[in-house]
Amino acid sequence: MRFVDEFRSGELAQKLTREIVSLVEAGRTVKIMEVCGGHTHAIYKHGVEDLVPPEIDFVHGPGCPVCVIPMGRVDDAISLAERPGVIFTTFGDMLRVPGGRGSLLEAKARGADVRMVYSPLDALEIARRNPDREVVFFAIGFETTAPATAVTLLRARTEGVRNFSAFCNHVTIGPPLRAILESPGLRLDAFIAPGHVSTVIGTRAYDFIVSEYARPVVVTAFEPIDILQAVVMVLRQLRDGRREVENQYTRVVRRDGNRRAVAAIEETMELRDTFEWRGLGWIEESGLRLRPEFADWDAEIRFELPGVRIEDPKACQCGEVLIGAIKPWECRVFGTACTPERPIGTCMVSSEGACAAYYNYGRLARRRDRVPV
Amino acid sequence: MTLDPERCITCGDVAVTARVIEVRGQTATVELADHREQVGIELVEEVALGDLLLCHAGIALEKVASTQ
Repeated sequence: MRFVDEFRSGELAQKLTREIVSLVEAGRTVKIMEVCGGHTHAIYKHGVEDLVPPEIDFVHGPGCPVCVIPMGRVDDAISLAERPGVIFTTFGDMLRVPGGRGSLLEAKARGADVRMVYSPLDALEIARRNPDREVVFFAIGFETTAPATAVTLLRARTEGVRNFSAFCNHVTIGPPLRAILESPGLRLDAFIAPGHVSTVIGTRAYDFIVSEYARPVVVTAFEPIDILQAVVMVLRQLRDGRREVENQYTRVVRRDGNRRAVAAIEETMELRDTFEWRGLGWIEESGLRLRPEFADWDAEIRFELPGVRIEDPKACQCGEVLIGAIKPWECRVFGTACTPERPIGTCMVSSEGACAAYYNYGRLARRRDRVPV
Repeated sequence: MTLDPERCITCGDVAVTARVIEVRGQTATVELADHREQVGIELVEEVALGDLLLCHAGIALEKVASTQ
């Protein structure tokens, strides 16, 4: 039982596709940015792009936390992992992300004690079981993952677990969207906003896209029917001249989000003045660090880090992919020098990355073969 | 939470929906297709047996309204 069957109905998909066809204006492209890598993945896994008419252009956004981590932060993580006595814990997706000095997986091969976890709570349990070791968790992700880190920090403090710390790289979704909207020359007609981030921050968080940039926003879940329905909602807004934040994912997302989750984040973390995003550069008030009250659990305070900024490889065009300026297949190394097995850029490492989604689902070149409806 | 192997846990949008079969303090046991997991429930109000929870990275993020 996965609670998703009704959102993969072929019959419903055909019905929604017919409505989309009726709503588009022949020859007028509608550029819709799906912010989240989860949506990108779903669009290609389920062939949504082939269902919709060619006037619908999905532009892939920056909402993949693995993809936006700068190489220097990966090097900092490797430095932590290679410290004697440290057990470095991380989500599996980060293991293969290349920094300037290789990846965490390569550090593990050299002897570092790097362990994959599914939850920061698992990292805390490792700390409880290894009181003579320092256990560091590579905290990364948007507002959906930050609450898990927050809960873990609060439990560590309550229980007095002193050999646990977090290397905080959490980021927030609003500032990069603003940065993209401010990008010169980038035309976007609407946004499909991430469903589960919105579970935490609420649909209210996107009001600025409507009030300041006059673009429709539809907060959307991750099954193919959800995405098709969101496209219908976007097209109806455009047809009617409306600019609103609409909620397609009403079964989970509320206007105000989850206030407990936001409170847990705010109790443990605070905004950094600025944070570097791969492809987007430095964005003010876009990253989180631990609050001073949690200094005892802050790996950046407890351990010395290199903190060196590393330039992205020149051949890699992840930066342009991340803001939707080019499609993955337009990158000069896509599918040749850069593959999921030997990635150069982060968009090919993460399975949610746009390049990996294109590669894994056979989009090695541009094809728009339509499915008859 | 156990995930679709194609998906990336770092992205919060791989959260999964699971049904509560036991509640003990701040931890609930939830049931997926073929296994059970324990998740922290500090961030969700009044979790009860049978509730559907949206779970990610070892915690429950929200209750899910039934689509039935």
